[in-house]
Amino acid sequence: MAELTANQLHAVAHDDHGHLSEEEQNDNLKLGVWLYLASEIVIFSIMIVGYIILRINEPAVVEQAHEQLGVGLVTANTFVLLASSYFMVMGLRAMQQGNRAGMLRWIGATALGGAVFLIGQYIEYSELAHLGIILGYTESQWSTLGMRFYAPTFFHGAHVFVGVIWALEVLRRGAKGRYDHNPIGIEMFGLYWHFVDVVWIMLFTLIYLV
Amino acid sequence: MAEATHHEGHHSNTVHLLRREITVEGGIYTVVFAALAVLTVIEVLSAEFLKGAIHDIPSAAATLQAIKAIILLGIAIIKSSLVIWFYMHLREEKPLIAIVILLPLLIATQSIMYLLAIPPLGYSV
Repeated sequence: MAELTANQLHAVAHDDHGHLSEEEQNDNLKLGVWLYLASEIVIFSIMIVGYIILRINEPAVVEQAHEQLGVGLVTANTFVLLASSYFMVMGLRAMQQGNRAGMLRWIGATALGGAVFLIGQYIEYSELAHLGIILGYTESQWSTLGMRFYAPTFFHGAHVFVGVIWALEVLRRGAKGRYDHNPIGIEMFGLYWHFVDVVWIMLFTLIYLV
Repeated sequence: MAEATHHEGHHSNTVHLLRREITVEGGIYTVVFAALAVLTVIEVLSAEFLKGAIHDIPSAAATLQAIKAIILLGIAIIKSSLVIWFYMHLREEKPLIAIVILLPLLIATQSIMYLLAIPPLGYSV
């Protein structure tokens, strides 16, 4: 059989009215999400470098904060977020296999994981406030740490919050059968959620462990 | 490290890991999650161990701190790559997507290096 020419391939991809095929639309939507995530990398990098400069210039302050805070709660929170990322990809897998009920269970677990992470972060912030590590200026040794710590972690927490809302919307649409024939909406949410997980992997190491 | 059997892609429950065939619910995704969990445990234990070593041997603190940073960042980069490669399906995407994500990473890394090179109170004249 003769091979298709480039023009023939183009014709297959479009319908008679020049509209994009579903596959092309999906590719464009995914590219849009990846480009958005690329811009997020730059924003988070600025916040991370602010913290790294503090870490290098004032190691004693950071080490004292590490001593007082410990890593128990934040490690547990990290496992929760890693698990939610696993639930997310399993939800997409279930929908791709035509298992709508399975998808709803996994995405529901993803949203729950995100909510638990936020509760953990709230507890951590309460402990930090108790120690005197706050966002505003203080006369204590923590004056330089507050902004550098809260900027990246709160900004990340805001992303988790948006992710939980997005997961609930995916659940609502999924329950109506919106993704039965084309799960691109779940895939786009998945890209966002996994990115939030990747950012946390780096923040956890840089801020709490190094 | 591991790959799902090609004929069933990422829907397969069978994974080839270190020349062994493993069948587990969730396939490659479950294997990656297990790897992420194990790496996180190693990361936290390494950090705690090296923190103790830095405290016990003050004369080698700077060297140990550098070793600690390299080990922990190395593990974090491996974990991030696993998520991006398998969970975000970068391995199945067109090269354009890899460029889209690598370009800002490159620019951000270069900017971080530049910012780190500036002394905290500016250059003295």
